[in-house]
This record gives sequence, structure tokens and C-alpha cells, in this order.
Amino acid sequence: MLSIVALSFFLSARESPREIIDRVDRLLRGESSHGVAVMEVVTENWERSLTMEMWSLGVEHSLVRILAPPKEAGTATLKASDDIWNYLPKVDRTIKIPASMMMGSWMGSHFTNDDLVKDSRLVEDYDIEIGFEGSRDGVEVWELVLTPRPEAAVVWGRIEYQVRKGDLMPVWARYYDEDGKPARGLTFGDFKTMGGRLVPTLMDMRPADKPGERTTVRYQKLEFGVPIDESYFSLQNLKSRK
Amino acid sequence: MGGPWIKLGWRNLGRNKRRTIITATGLGFGYFAVVFMLGWAEGLKAEMVENGTGLLTGQIQIHSEEYRPERSLYDTIGGAEGADVGALLAAVAADPAVAAAAPRVYAGGLISSGASTSAGMLLGIDPELEPRVSRILTGLTAGRLPNSGVNELLLGSEMARQLEVAPGGEVVVVAPAADGSMGNDLFIVSGIFRTGLSEVDASHALLPLDSLQRLVALEPSRVHEIAIATADPWLAPEAATRIERALSPLRPALEIEPWTRLQPEMLDYITLLDSWYWIILVIVFTIALFGVANTMLMATFERRREFAVMLALGTTPVQVVSTVVWEALALGVLSLLAGALLTFPLMLWWSQAPPDMSFLYGDFTMFGALMRPVLRVEIEPAQSLWSAGALLLTALVAAIYPAAHAARTPPADTLSGL
Repeated sequence: MLSIVALSFFLSARESPREIIDRVDRLLRGESSHGVAVMEVVTENWERSLTMEMWSLGVEHSLVRILAPPKEAGTATLKASDDIWNYLPKVDRTIKIPASMMMGSWMGSHFTNDDLVKDSRLVEDYDIEIGFEGSRDGVEVWELVLTPRPEAAVVWGRIEYQVRKGDLMPVWARYYDEDGKPARGLTFGDFKTMGGRLVPTLMDMRPADKPGERTTVRYQKLEFGVPIDESYFSLQNLKSRK
Repeated sequence: MGGPWIKLGWRNLGRNKRRTIITATGLGFGYFAVVFMLGWAEGLKAEMVENGTGLLTGQIQIHSEEYRPERSLYDTIGGAEGADVGALLAAVAADPAVAAAAPRVYAGGLISSGASTSAGMLLGIDPELEPRVSRILTGLTAGRLPNSGVNELLLGSEMARQLEVAPGGEVVVVAPAADGSMGNDLFIVSGIFRTGLSEVDASHALLPLDSLQRLVALEPSRVHEIAIATADPWLAPEAATRIERALSPLRPALEIEPWTRLQPEMLDYITLLDSWYWIILVIVFTIALFGVANTMLMATFERRREFAVMLALGTTPVQVVSTVVWEALALGVLSLLAGALLTFPLMLWWSQAPPDMSFLYGDFTMFGALMRPVLRVEIEPAQSLWSAGALLLTALVAAIYPAAHAARTPPADTLSGL
């Protein structure tokens, strides 16, 4: 009995890195979620802002529909398992994104199609170690180093992830290519309570090779535990404008 | 040195006619071998350059200085403002070596039909001008060319097969546009083209220039490339320099590159082929050299009594040498005549109607150039002259040792039968 208590104490004090990532992931997603966000994309050649509504169920299913600007309103992306479909309202057609385009930009942003599919699989595809544990700028954090497993089909050579110990909020993620050079950085911010949970309401992605470019996603609304099931994430629903 | 010694040399060819004919045939065939192999190498070069540049690349390309190698959608000629494409085409066409010029727009995109989607290169072309610059539109296997101003396109044969679409079918084309939006529209497949280059057939779709510009939100003044055909591929580097000078006041700066810089690996290979010329020449004539020397040595050995008499009568050794050398030279000229008689009709015939070699090998590609399975020969007069010179030189060199040997015939010993 005593040994069990001691063991459980030991576990909570020294969480496995895998558990940390898993918990962070679940915190952000919940079992199901629904939200509205504004995505601002700044590139060398143009700047634009998209308002989008999104739904998710677990890690396997998500649906994003663009609400504004009018030119692209109704454009939607459905992710189910490893596949991504885009619905194009102008031509009223749905196209499946081929595997070769997974590293292509999603809606002109600095996020890739792959980000939509693979982010949920960090725990499966990567070996996770704690690279640093302690105080950074007065905040207790973990810094996790994710190295791809030999058999995993992933594009990054390494991912570094900083998570606040106190509330399990992610602070930043840094992505390195196969040569170990920085490829891009994702920063989280504006930690607020939305839908009854503390979440980062801002995500800022910056590519390393294009200084000055960025994609910033700001959540305006986020709720968890919404009553939707798998049937909601169908090609039928991808088309229909509500 | 001349006079009777030439006559003597010439007449000696008739001493053993069969031997002379055999030797002359050998040398003549050597001449044919050299001229034919050089002509074949020239034909290979011409085939590679014509197909490599003529299929799609063109002999010269103009881009914005920024465009290559990233090939960004935004780096159009003239920058974000674009350029007066018509004036540019006219300026380029003014060059005497330029046969035609055509504007092009490139974009990367997705082409989707039913459940299948392919990632592809969208190439915007002017259906009127493009056929004058490249042969990409001549490889139509089904359907017809797309019309300007409407949403029609040509698909590469392999891509059409993967998408399971035929002429008249409908595809969705999606491409990131210059304003940041996702350009998307329906297109009708007007035809299928096949180049034989698998990477092109599997990945390229050809759209009317204006349709592609509309899809990716580029103004009509914005194009990525002007492809130029020159009358002769080898005129391209000079023409590129002249065009560069003519267009140099334009800003942002342009990059004008002949195929020799666009496809340097092709030029490297041609340089390698050129160095073969000397190797072939040396090998063939070295073999001939020993054959002729052997014959001449036999001939002079047979005549050692004659040489002994000549020397005994006061002929100088130099005169003996000269008669042997004249004989060799006469043999060389005779061989050359025989060789030319064999070579030029054949070469002329083959250069007009290249023999079909498909029983030996099929189509193959070299440095992105599709090579037809034909024995194409090109006649280069300079090479034929060089080879003729090499043949005469071979005959002369082959005569040196036998001649020296003949001149050193000891008269008394030889005549006494020793």
C-alpha cells in the first residue's frame, strides 16, 4: 500500500515526456471543440486576413470553413485520419489533397497541409525526451526534444517544444529540418480562459528562411465538449453551407 | 625532285594492281569510317540540341533576374508592375538571328478530376505564338488546341491517364494566386499531348496564357518568361548577347540566357563529343598507317634490285626516297578518290533520309532531349577536309621508313645476289 502511494507520488513529480505532450495536446483539443478564429497572413508580396470557423473531434477529425473575405467564404477543409479534402464553393467541387502536396501551404498561410494531419501524431511519430527542466525567465518549464522515430514518415529532423510546468501551457515550438537547421518557429500567447479552460488564444508561425513573413491565428471563440460525432466530418457536410 | 620521279612513283602503282587496289580500298574505307563517325557524332549533337531546345526550352529564355532558380510566381518580367509584353516581343524579334518569340506564365497547382488529384506545373502559353518557338503543341495525341480567353487546357498524356480524363472532360484547377487567395476554376480538357519525356507528360498542363493569368490573379502584363527560337541553335549565344544589350536599359534587370547556359550539361556533352573527333581520327589512321607501311615495305623490298641499279647508275638516295614518297602520295590520292566516291553518296543519302534504327534501340532521352532511333548524320565540309589531309599525311608517313630503306640499298651486294 505504501509503495503504491510512493509510486504515484513519484509519477506525478516526474512526468514522462510523452505524457506531457499528450496532456498538452488534449488540453488544447478536448474531446470535441468548436471555435472561430482569425488568421492573418503576412508575406513579402501580400497581407490578408481570413476568418474561419472550425470543429474538431478527437485528434482524427477536423473541419475548417472560411467565413470571410467574401471571395473565399465557404471554402472548407476536411481532415479525416490522414486525408485532407478541400471544398471549393466557386466551382462546387471537392478535391482530395494528394500526398505529394502535404508540405504545400494551407490556404496560402505558413501552415502546411501536413500540420493539419500530422500534429496529432507527435506522440506516435517521435521519441520525446526532456532536454531542459527548470526556470526560464522566472517560469518553471520543460523543454522537450522530439526526434523522429526511424520508421516514421515525417518531414522534420527535430522539434523542440517548451511547456510551462504550472499550467501545461505550450510556450513555443521550434522546427528543424533534416540538416538540423531552423526551419520555422511557432509561438503561443494570450493565454486566456475560453470554453471553460485556459488555452493559448494566439499562435504565431514564422518561417526561418523568410524574415518578416508570418501567420498569426487568434481565437475569438472556443468551446469544448460540443455535441458532434464522426458523421459530422463527412464530405457531404464539407459542401453544405450552414 | 619532281619530273621523272613522280612518273616513276605513279607507274609503280601499276606494278601490282591487285595490291594497289586492296591498299587503296583499305585507306578509302578508313576515310569513310572517319567521315561517317564524325558525321554521326555531329548528327547526335544536332539531334540533341534541336530536340533538347526545340521541344520546350527554346534556344534563348528571358526572365526577370530574380526568377531563377526559385521560380516564384511573383518574379515576373518587369517586377510587380509587369512589362509591355508586346513591345518586348517586338524588340526581341528585331534581332536578325531570332526566328520567333513567345511569352509564358508558370504556376504550380493541383489538377483534379473526380476522386483523383495530381500536383502539376501549369504552363500558360500563347496558342498562336508558341508553335513558332517550341514543338510542345505539335505532340497532340487527342483533341485540339485550347482557345485563348476560355477555360480550356491540354494535359500531358500520363497526367490524363492518372486523372482518368479524356478530351471534353472537366477538371478542377487550383493554384495559389498572386494576391494570396487560392485561385480555382473549372477547365475543359481540350486535348492530350505527349512529348515522350515522362516527367513532362506526367506533370504539365498547358493553358492559354490569359486563362492562367486570370486563375492566379496576374495582370495581362505579367509574364515569367519569353522563350525565343533562333534560326540555328548555335547562333543563340551571340543573339542572347545582342538582346541583352538591346534590353539593358530596362529595370528591374532581365536575365537573358541561351540554351548553352540553361542546359550546360548538354554543352559539356557536346564538348566531349568534339574531343572524340581527334581520338577517332588518330585511331583509324594509325591502324591504316601500319597497313600502308607494310605494303610499301613489301613493294620496295621486291624492287631492291631495281633500286640497286638506279643507285649504281648514279641516282642519288634523295631521288630514290622521293620516288617512293611520290608513289605513296599517289596511292593516297587514289584512296581518297575511292573513299570520297564511297562516302559522299552514302552520307548525302543518310543525311536526307536517316536510316531507321528502331530494330536496334528505341526512343531514349539524353539531358532532357528526346532522341529518335534514327542514324542521323550531318556533313561538315571542314571535317571532311581535315580527314582528307589526315589520310594523305598517313600515306606520307607510312612511306618514310620504306623509302629510307630503299635509299640505303647497297648496290654491289644486292646485285651480286647477297
